[in-house]
Order: sequence, then structure tokens, then C-alpha cells
Amino acid sequence: MNFSETLKLAISSITAHKLRSFLTLLGMIIGMTAFMLILSLLLGFNGYVNEKVAGIGSNAFTVQRFNFDDFKDSDTIAAAQRRNKELSFDELDFIKRGAQMIEHIGARSGGVGRSIRVGNNSIQNVRISGVEPVIATIDKIEIEQGRFFSDTENNTAARVAFVGADIAKNLFPQGGALGSELKISGIPYRIIGIQVAKGTVFGQPQDNFIQLPIKTFGANFGGLRWNRAPNFAVTAKEGVKMEDAVDEVRTLLRIKRKLGPDEKDNFGIITPDAISGMIGSMTAVFSIVLLLVPGIALVVGAIVIMNIMLVAVTERTKEIGIRKSLGARQADILRQFLFESGLLSAIGGFIGLFIAYTAGYIITLYVFPTSIPWYAAVLAIGVSGGVGILAGLFPAWKAAALDPIEALRAD
Amino acid sequence: MANSHTGTAMVKEDSLILMKNIWKTYQMGVEELHALRDVSFHVEKGDYLAIIGPSGSGKSTLMNLIGCLDSPTKGTYLINGHLVSEMTDDELARIRNKEIGFVFQTFNLLSRATALHNVELPLIYAGIRAGERHERAKAALDAVELGDRTLHRPNELSGGQRQRVAIARALINNPSILLADEPTGALDSKTSVEIMALFEKLHADGNTIIVVTHEHEVAERAHRIITIRDGQIENDERIK
Ligand SMILES: Nc1ncnc2c1ncn2[C@@H]1O[C@H](COP(=O)(O)OP(=O)(O)O)[C@@H](O)[C@H]1O
Ligand SMILES: [Mg+2]
Repeated sequence: MNFSETLKLAISSITAHKLRSFLTLLGMIIGMTAFMLILSLLLGFNGYVNEKVAGIGSNAFTVQRFNFDDFKDSDTIAAAQRRNKELSFDELDFIKRGAQMIEHIGARSGGVGRSIRVGNNSIQNVRISGVEPVIATIDKIEIEQGRFFSDTENNTAARVAFVGADIAKNLFPQGGALGSELKISGIPYRIIGIQVAKGTVFGQPQDNFIQLPIKTFGANFGGLRWNRAPNFAVTAKEGVKMEDAVDEVRTLLRIKRKLGPDEKDNFGIITPDAISGMIGSMTAVFSIVLLLVPGIALVVGAIVIMNIMLVAVTERTKEIGIRKSLGARQADILRQFLFESGLLSAIGGFIGLFIAYTAGYIITLYVFPTSIPWYAAVLAIGVSGGVGILAGLFPAWKAAALDPIEALRAD
Repeated sequence: MANSHTGTAMVKEDSLILMKNIWKTYQMGVEELHALRDVSFHVEKGDYLAIIGPSGSGKSTLMNLIGCLDSPTKGTYLINGHLVSEMTDDELARIRNKEIGFVFQTFNLLSRATALHNVELPLIYAGIRAGERHERAKAALDAVELGDRTLHRPNELSGGQRQRVAIARALINNPSILLADEPTGALDSKTSVEIMALFEKLHADGNTIIVVTHEHEVAERAHRIITIRDGQIENDERIK
């Protein structure tokens, strides 16, 4: 009995009881829908995090005082606080002079939070930091109005500010932010540039910041120390692998800090991959649990299919007897029922996939980016078909093993 | 398996059907029920044999053994010289598919399938391609004068028509032997006569036929009659 014969037979059996087939598949459909939907949300979420938070796709990395693993527990934190010195401009210059593989390097201070008021308008929790002018290039800052500050403005500690879109909008609702002054802790700064609005990432506003030249910031906010200490943003040269640039910077900083070959780094270098990896490890357990729930629905769906296939074998005992009396081999009967349960289940998987895809599409349009990669879709159909075949194995084996004369006696 | 049964060589090993000391015993709780006791006989190619006997005498049991649907408790059964007890499941399936055409009292058609598809079934399991299959099934239905009923389902056919579909199906693979267990048992007498005429024609065409019946009119059409009583052969006579 060949493939197309078996397929025709399976289709006619499934369509002979349309309602029953559909009800049988509900578990499979719900399980697969939930599974694919959650998967697409997780993948979409990961993509979003990688792009927006980790900065995957940019070629920038950060040199900072602490490394991720320094935060393991209070002992490692204490040890790192003793060992790891704040980064200095000396070190920045040393790297800048020595490095071959980096395109740009620039310092950025830690930030402070302040509320700002202009006339009757105010805005809370503004993040104020100092940066070197080159940071505009490294961060690929998009300017809505005006310009970023210059090296001269930085070197002379000019009182100029580059602000996020919310600052301009909230403090100067009538417009005219560019060129206006705003006071921070009593000191006035002139707004020379406004960034293109960025919106929010996970509800965190991205347009609620003020950047000052780092020298200005250091002079007016109590020096570049403690939480205001600088870190370095670095980009690799075109055509250079990021790891190589990272290695070069690490080596230079180790030389500058006179670290022996056996000594650990007393600074941290954070790449987008490392951030994404850390977030990934934090969300992994959560993802597995989320996928486990619909996974259980799939198992229940498989049990329902097995049950209905057992019913089908009992109902069709006479048919099996007739087929055997006409020369059907055990393999023919086995294949017939396995095919039927596999196809049935794959149809359920396909419907589930379709619903999940449609729902994901709507979610992407209105809420949040989701994605079902093609391999997940193929896998879904394959897994549901495979689950169906597994669920059909026992019933099909029962059918194939039936004694022809016993089966013929059934009614 | 060709030489594995030299002990039976004396009793015409080239018989189409050869049964020697066949027992079929059912275990009913603690009691043993012997449906067949020590049955021995052989059937040659081209014969037309009727098996008669009262109800419960073991006729169907014997037919199911001949048709390789069931296996004996004891004894030797050779079909075309091959020892059935040594055959694998697949070989038995092949015998049922190619060597034997079985016609049942209750037709045993697939109720969801058309007459054409029912007739095609043995060809499907013989691995014949769809085109040839349709043609042969149509021709077989034509031969039993049902050429205009190919797409009818069993419940859209009369009893006699259903039995003719079953006969067309039994003959489709050109079997060595046609087995019919009370083929007219569920039919009225006029239809029975038609079916018996069809059997006579099939026999005239060279088919080997074994028919089980308890109707004397049916049995008298055959050339040889075996009478069974209490699972034993009581009489075996050639009448033509
Ligand atoms: N599966 C079975 N289990 C137990 N007894 C059976 C079975 N099949 C047949 N028999 C018994 O075997 C005997 C012969 O049955 P059967 O061959 O059907 O008779 P017939 O066809 O001549 O009417 C009967 O007594 C019947 O009850
Ligand atoms: Mg009977």
C-alpha cells in the first residue's frame, strides 16, 4: 500500500467524523497556539532586548570599573571595590595613543538625577551626565534641532547642554527650547541641541536626559568621582572584529595598570553580547517555565489523540478484519493508523500555528514585536505530527496485531 | 519450506488444498470444544466442492482454516504444496491476497466505500497502480453485471447486488480458489439462484470453488459434496 493510498485513506477517515476530529484536536490546537504564541513573544522580547538594551548590532563596547561577575555576592563586591580603581583620563589617553583597532574612544561620566524647573514648568528625575563630544558619534545620536557640543566647548568647560526631546517639550511647551537657558542647581546652561524623540524602552523614558560636556559636568557636580566617575565608550574600526578590539583595549589597560600575567583584570569590559548573554541567563528559567505550560497542553492533546485512536481501532475492528482478509499486511494496517493520527495531529498543529501567527501579527502591529522564525513553524508541524504518530503507536499496533478471524467477528 | 514436509509426500503434495489430521479446539473455560476433529481431505485444481452439514458442525471453522484467516490447533495444512503453519504473517497476507477469494455470508463490504473501491481493495494491497486498478475493478463489476453501479455504496445496493460486489472482489486478483461461506444464506431464493448460476459460470471458466451451505439445491450444483457432522467428515462423495 503506497503513500498516496495511505494519505487518501487517512483523509477520508478524518473527514468522516469532522466534529469528532475537531474536538479531538482542540487540545492540540490550544497547546500549539499557546506554545507558538509564547515562543514568538519570547523571541520578539529577546530581539527587542538585544537591540534596545544590549545594543546588539552596534559595534560599541564599554570599559568600566566593575565587571559583571564582580556583583556575584557581597564578598566579590567588597573585593572589587578594593581592587578596581576608578578609570582615569590618563588611562583614556594611554589607550587612545596605543590602540590600532579602535575607531573612537570617549569618556562618559556616571549620571545624577535632578528635578529641573523653568518658570512654571518642571520635569522630575532628569538624568544628567557629562560626555565627551565624540560620544555623539559613538552613540550615533540623532539631532532634531541644533548641534552637539564641540571639543572647544568641552575643553573650556562651557555651560552648554544637549537635551532629550522631553526636556524641550516639557520645559518649553510653547517651543523655543533651542538657545534658551535652564538652571541646574542654580547654574545656568544654554541649550544648544535637542535629540530626536526616542520614546520608551520597557516603560523607561529615553528622552528625559541632559548631557553636558564632561569637563563642565566635572567642574559643577563635585568632580568625576564615585558614582560620577567616567567609563569609556569604544567602537572597533571598520573590518575589525569586536573581540579583537576588546582584547587590545584590555591588554593596553592591563599594561597601564601594571597587572602581572596571573592577575585578574581590575576593570570590566562590557560588550553587547555579554549584556545579551546576561539577560538571556536571567530570562532562561522564566522562558522554560512559560513554555512548559503549553508543553503540558501538548501532552494532554497527545493523550486525547491516543484515546480517540483507540476508539477508532475498536470501532473499525470489523474493517480491519475485512482488510486483513483481503491481504492487508500488519505493516499496512499499522501505517494506516499511524498516518491517520500523525495527520490528524499535524492538522491540529497547523491550525495552532496559524492562530498563533495571526495573533502574533496583530500583537506586532499594536503592541510589541513578535516573531515566529520559519524553523519554529516547521518544527511545530513536525512536532505535532510526531506527537500524533507517537500517540497513535499503541492503538495502531493494537490494530495491526488483531487476529483476522477475531476482527471479522466484531460488528 | 519446499522440502520440509516429505512425510506428506505420499498424499499428493501437488494438491491445491491438502489437509491432514486437522484439529481445531476452543478452550471454553475448563472444557475443550473440538470444532474440528481429525479432518483430512484434499482438493484439486478446477474442482467444485460443496461442504454441507448442520449448523454448528464446524463448516465455517473449516472454511476459515482453508482461507488462512484462522490456524488449526493441530494438523498439517498445505496450500499449493506450501506448509501454512510455517508461513510468516506477511506470507499469509500474500496468500489471502493472491491465492484466495473469500465470499462471506454477510458480504463484509466496507460500508463507507463505493462498490468500485471495495472491489479494488485486494489490488491496493497487491500494490497495483491506480489506473490499472480502476480498469480491472470496473471490468470485474461488469462481469457480475454491476457495471452501472460502480459508485454506489453498499447501503445503496440490494442484497444480491452486494453479494455480487463481494464476488467481484473475491475474483479480482485471479485467486487459485474461491471460498464461499453460505453465500446465499442472506439472500432470497430468486437471488440465490442467480448467484449459483454465477458460480457455475465461474467454475466453467476454470475457477476452483468451495462453497459451504446447508441448502441442498445449492450443494447439488457442485461436483463433490463433503458432509460434516460434529467436526468430523461424515461423507465425501463425487456426484458429477
Ligand atoms: N471463536 C469461537 N470460540 C468458541 N467456539 C467457537 C468459536 N467459533 C466457533 N465455535 C464453535 O465451533 C463449532 C463450529 O462452529 P462453526 O464452524 O461456526 O459451525 P457452522 O459454520 O458449521 O455452523 C460450534 O460449536 C461453535 O459454537
Ligand atoms: Mg457457519
